[in-house]
Amino acid sequence: MMKQYFDGLVAGIERTLRENPENKSPRKIYALEVAKLGSRLYSGKKRVAWCGVTAPFDLLNAMGVTSCFVEFVGAMLASTGMAGAYLEEAEHAGYAGDTCAYHRGVIGAMRKGLMPEPDFLIATSVPCTGGLAVMETLAKHFNKDLFVLNVPQRLTEESVQYLADQIRAMVAFVENHTGESLDKENLRRAIHFTNEARVLTEEVYRLAQSVPSPANGRVLSNFGIVMALLLGTKAGVDVATAYRDEFRKMIDNGESGVADEKLRLLWIQNRIQFKNPLVDMLEADYGAAIVSDELNDITWGAIDPEVPFEGMARRAISIPFNGDVTRRIAHLQQLAKRYRIDGAINPCNWGCRQGTGARGLISEGLKEIGVPVLNLEVDCIDSRNFAEGQLRTRLEAFTEMLNERPSIW
Amino acid sequence: MAERSTERIGFACAYTPLALIQAAGFAPYRILPMGDWPDQAGQLLHDNLCPHVKRLLDRAMAKDLPDLSGVIFVNSCDAMRRLADAWRKVRPNDRTVLIDLPATADALSVSFFGKEMERLAGILDEWSGCSINAAEIEDSLFQYGQLARLLSDLSNRNRRGALSGGSTRIQELRNLAVTEPVEQTILLLQQALAESPATMNGQSGVPVFVFGNMLPDPAAFALFETCGVHVVGDDFCTGSRMFGEYEPSLSEPNIFRRMAERILSHPPCARTFDPGQPIKIASDIVNQAVACNAQGVIGHTVKFCDPYLARIPMIREALKTANIPFLFLEGDCSLRSIGQQRTRIEAFIEMLR
Ligand code: SF4
Ligand code: SF4
Repeated sequence: MMKQYFDGLVAGIERTLRENPENKSPRKIYALEVAKLGSRLYSGKKRVAWCGVTAPFDLLNAMGVTSCFVEFVGAMLASTGMAGAYLEEAEHAGYAGDTCAYHRGVIGAMRKGLMPEPDFLIATSVPCTGGLAVMETLAKHFNKDLFVLNVPQRLTEESVQYLADQIRAMVAFVENHTGESLDKENLRRAIHFTNEARVLTEEVYRLAQSVPSPANGRVLSNFGIVMALLLGTKAGVDVATAYRDEFRKMIDNGESGVADEKLRLLWIQNRIQFKNPLVDMLEADYGAAIVSDELNDITWGAIDPEVPFEGMARRAISIPFNGDVTRRIAHLQQLAKRYRIDGAINPCNWGCRQGTGARGLISEGLKEIGVPVLNLEVDCIDSRNFAEGQLRTRLEAFTEMLNERPSIW
Repeated sequence: MAERSTERIGFACAYTPLALIQAAGFAPYRILPMGDWPDQAGQLLHDNLCPHVKRLLDRAMAKDLPDLSGVIFVNSCDAMRRLADAWRKVRPNDRTVLIDLPATADALSVSFFGKEMERLAGILDEWSGCSINAAEIEDSLFQYGQLARLLSDLSNRNRRGALSGGSTRIQELRNLAVTEPVEQTILLLQQALAESPATMNGQSGVPVFVFGNMLPDPAAFALFETCGVHVVGDDFCTGSRMFGEYEPSLSEPNIFRRMAERILSHPPCARTFDPGQPIKIASDIVNQAVACNAQGVIGHTVKFCDPYLARIPMIREALKTANIPFLFLEGDCSLRSIGQQRTRIEAFIEMLR
């Protein structure tokens, strides 16, 4: 079923791009690559590794492994409106309803046979404890080998070494399963693509900072986190190039992502993955553009091909959800300054302890620099309790409040 | 050498190296979530966060703590990391440190965690103004080993139904062991063991193995007992998991690495696992229950605890396959929450009789 879905999606987007080459939007190119990844995952023919969010996907791509973080499945179920049945399946099996629904969706999919059987699994201890638990459960269910990457909290030479050594051990683990050694040339090429995509993506984000911004509430949604899956590939470079070119063109033509941009918003952590009218409402009724997402940023340096595992280790350690909250707040403050943010929205994805547990301190941290935060109570995957009316009212009140204050920039 | 003192270092997680704290001349003090404080933590954290962590923060916000010379947090789970953040906010003058904790016990992780132990030793040196040496750590490890053996002897006596006060008393002693200087607790434990065995106090209770994350309140064990439960074995981070026996290792000369190895190979909380044997926690619980001849198993976890909640369904399945009846309770660290489960516990015991 999923294979047909993704194959159909790939064919549909390719047809549109062929028939209307002038409509070749970067979001379509991005969607095409995501659909292709989905199609490979469900093909039954590729080597598949289910992973944690901070796995080195470029390295796995270089080793010929189709790899993806499991949360992708939770998001996919939500975006296709299918999540409810899978969440219920997990809950009936005893998985608590107050855990992160990305993971509950995965468990439901696993139990209903919707998760492709992996060749092996690579868990990561960051971003969350729940993520590790779901990987252990999948390994048990599929009876497949599991490798764990412990991502340290602090960025020190020792911790980089620890993670780099684990990545080295992971390479041996993957080699054992595929029967093929890591090809040095493939790795070099993958790192080249990663570094190229890194520079291009940085440029995309820099362009998105323009006032008015070429970005809007949809065009870069989930971009940073999904781009990690395309690292090490030409596709990643192509997607980033398409965004850069489009944003440049828009800026040159004086176009903005949201016509008559009045407010610039920062979205904290997860987007709401199922269809909902909130972003449209913000844009149409208030000229409020989501110009920045917390995970749409490059927090890591170029990977040195001579010592690639150390660079990959630094990259994993650098993600904003890792480490203590002061680091995360400092990063959000930087984003707010760079993007001249008027206000921030934190959906506080229900069940995400690492995220929601930091909400009070994040609010205070952004308030310190004059950026108000709206904390919502949303389950970003599970639409069953989506309180649209209530959320609308809160967003309206928030944007009205922002409109009434003078810009802090 | 660091002077023995009654200055206390607070901690909140069973993975904390108590021997190191005591070797630095401090008394480890576990900040337990037992008491009644205004409910404030949810505003800073979130209501959907483990009540253990929220209650510790409530306790800090209510300033219901003894003088602490520092507080050690361990990165055991997301909730604990967030507690460390929030603690710094509500008690900015406390000296605090967060020690990283791998989820696995492979050689690389033991080595890394050993370095974390060494970093902690350096921080304790700063806090005490003295320098810890390896011999002091050895002594201290030995003492905690002794304490673990004594507690285990008492648990065995309780298993036979021959300890007056039963599991309620064991829990009181365990709480003392994490809040009072080790020498003092060792004396108390020795005295308890010197008592003549009680006359089979647990005879009328049904032998049950209990496990979970947190169950620090002795009154909870008293409640179990009044419901007809004879706790013949337990696995809680506020119980047996807190103390591992110490065996001097000749093969590992580095004391920090040795401590790391020992802590990571403790009977684990669900947050630590062996990737080579996924969900081994389920068979471990079955084996523990069988080993203590339990007729049933009660799982008790505080709500919103991802490490446990994610594994309960497979634990339930393993117990079912082994034909061991299972009762699962969720609580919020308050006695009230466990009291509300009385009827279910009684019905479970009736079913086992
Ligand atoms: S939303 Fe939070 S708990 Fe869920 S997968 Fe993301 S980081 Fe983990
Ligand atoms: S009870 Fe669970 S969630 Fe709470 S601190 Fe312990 S392991 Fe973490």
